[in-house]
Amino acid sequence: MEHSLVIVVLALRNLRRQFRRTLLTSLAMIIGGGLLMFSLTLGDGTHERWIESGVRMGSGHVTIERPEFRTSRRIEDRLPEMARRATEQALTSVGIAEQVKAVSPKLIITGLASSAAGARPAQIMGVEPRAEASFSTLDEQLVEGRYLDPADRLAAYVGIGLVESLDLRLGSRLVVTAQDAHREVAGQLLRVVGVFRTGVPKIDQALIHMPLKTAGKWLGSGRDVTNVGVIVEDSADVSRLVVGLRDALAEPIQSGTTTVTSWQEAMPELSAMVAIDDFGNYLVYGILFVIIGFGIVNTVLMSVMHRYREFGVLQALGLTPGQTGALVLVEGLVLTVVSSTIGIGLGILLTWYCFGDGLDFSALMDEEMTFSGVVIDPVIIPLFRMARIIQALAFILGVGVVASVYPAIRAMRIDVTKAMKFDR
Amino acid sequence: MPDQSAAVHTEGIWKIFKQEAEEVRAVRDVTLTFAPGEFTALAGPSGSGKTTLLNLIGGLTRPTRGRIWVAGQDVSQMSSQELAQFRLENVGFVFQAYNLLPVLTALENAEFPMLLRGVPANERARRVGELFERTGMTGLEDRRPGKLSGGQQQRVAVVRAVASNPALVLADEPTANLDTAASEALLDMMLEFNQELGVTFIFATHDEHVMERSRRVVRMVDGAIDSDETRS
Repeated sequence: MEHSLVIVVLALRNLRRQFRRTLLTSLAMIIGGGLLMFSLTLGDGTHERWIESGVRMGSGHVTIERPEFRTSRRIEDRLPEMARRATEQALTSVGIAEQVKAVSPKLIITGLASSAAGARPAQIMGVEPRAEASFSTLDEQLVEGRYLDPADRLAAYVGIGLVESLDLRLGSRLVVTAQDAHREVAGQLLRVVGVFRTGVPKIDQALIHMPLKTAGKWLGSGRDVTNVGVIVEDSADVSRLVVGLRDALAEPIQSGTTTVTSWQEAMPELSAMVAIDDFGNYLVYGILFVIIGFGIVNTVLMSVMHRYREFGVLQALGLTPGQTGALVLVEGLVLTVVSSTIGIGLGILLTWYCFGDGLDFSALMDEEMTFSGVVIDPVIIPLFRMARIIQALAFILGVGVVASVYPAIRAMRIDVTKAMKFDR
Repeated sequence: MPDQSAAVHTEGIWKIFKQEAEEVRAVRDVTLTFAPGEFTALAGPSGSGKTTLLNLIGGLTRPTRGRIWVAGQDVSQMSSQELAQFRLENVGFVFQAYNLLPVLTALENAEFPMLLRGVPANERARRVGELFERTGMTGLEDRRPGKLSGGQQQRVAVVRAVASNPALVLADEPTANLDTAASEALLDMMLEFNQELGVTFIFATHDEHVMERSRRVVRMVDGAIDSDETRS
């Protein structure tokens, strides 16, 4: 134990002795750490916004549905009542409920929307208004009128593209037609209570929200739904929730009536976009820290060469080659730990202080940007996650340690007699 | 078999350095025995092999041929790890350039080998305190080497070398960087440790003062023993 203390004391004093060199190397790591944290938090914030946008417009962070429904989109492939009850039970169970922020059961059908002015293909979504309001942001994208109310029976909330193409206005009547659960073509009269604009043409020109009860009666599917969407607080919790739900719904999953799908599986393009952006960022961080790493190697190596004779004396007095190497490694480690902690701490503080309310890129964007049905929010709010902070710390520590290995090996391998003759 | 009571026994040791195209025979077929408590000078001009012989005895380098026993242990076959442990437990060094660790105080330098050996703090303090008093270093314990004179630094180095009760102390030109007065004082100190504590001293030197104070002088020329004279 005393050996280790001696090595640590020597390491700390050597760092202090070469104060200017220590400070300069530290500064490089502090700045690198700060930049890394700034970039990571903004990157995570960006991705979280993309995912949030995508899942709220889509089927949620996690979707529970019948396996065939994802590709068929037919009413016959809806989630049976038993599976829906099991899902609702699972979502309110201990261990899962605390991860869930919002749940929205939906009945989704592809059909036709028609008015006196004509007919257009439409995606008709039967929803529970309150649940859907907390699930998606569609209610906030109101242009005219209001969103659906739980008391509504024949209300329709329609995209502006569809409103324009069918020449509708608030209060107008429209008829939605689709194949029902008995494979008969059935129609339902609705009245427009609200108009929305998402900025995504595919959605604005086709989507209609209507009350779930009415949709069930119209399509003869009763209380059945085609899927249940779940929103969580942080997308990092998705895999845990998926595992929990798959466990809780093991029986219906086994019987082939249910599947639990993460957003990554349901929205592979969005998932790929996040992954590619992440990869690009990691590449840049890697390059940045390779450069910083070489700087550390140079500094630590210079420090070893400057103390060549001293290392010879230490070994002559009884320090083993391994302990001599450990001394150099400890110096590198202490320098890295202190610098990276300061750098990451400063990075977090400055990012939070300067950009905690968000970094607004709207000046750089002429109009709304969309990608794969996702509206890109121009305001990026940095996201601070403990796992990321630990990851960043570990990464910088790794760079520091790796950068100290070669100088440590040089110190271990000195020829004691030659080192003693070394003139500074 | 060597005499187990000998402090040091070398048998037919060679040290050959390869330098580009040629071989340098720094030590040639040296067989010597040093008894415990000796105060011996290895004398000779530069390049005679005395420092190399000292390094071989101290386990700082291994012989090309031959065997060396120090305190009954064969050091010629030890690994680097074993040699480091051997040096820690058996050998004290005094160097020409003092070689104190600049980041440690005089006290910390003196107790450094004992610290590595795991000697308890109170024992370290007692030992170093006594030796500092004997060497007139009391009051200078907290000074860094940069704040000590050459003579003071060398005294700290000698205390460092003897404090952990090694089997022997190897001193390579310990007086080379000191003036006459400081050299005499240092020699007096080492002689005192030799006589009162029974520490074996082997010097590599070409300082006549050191040779005069030594009870045995082994002269080396071109890596080989030229003469071996013991004074009564």
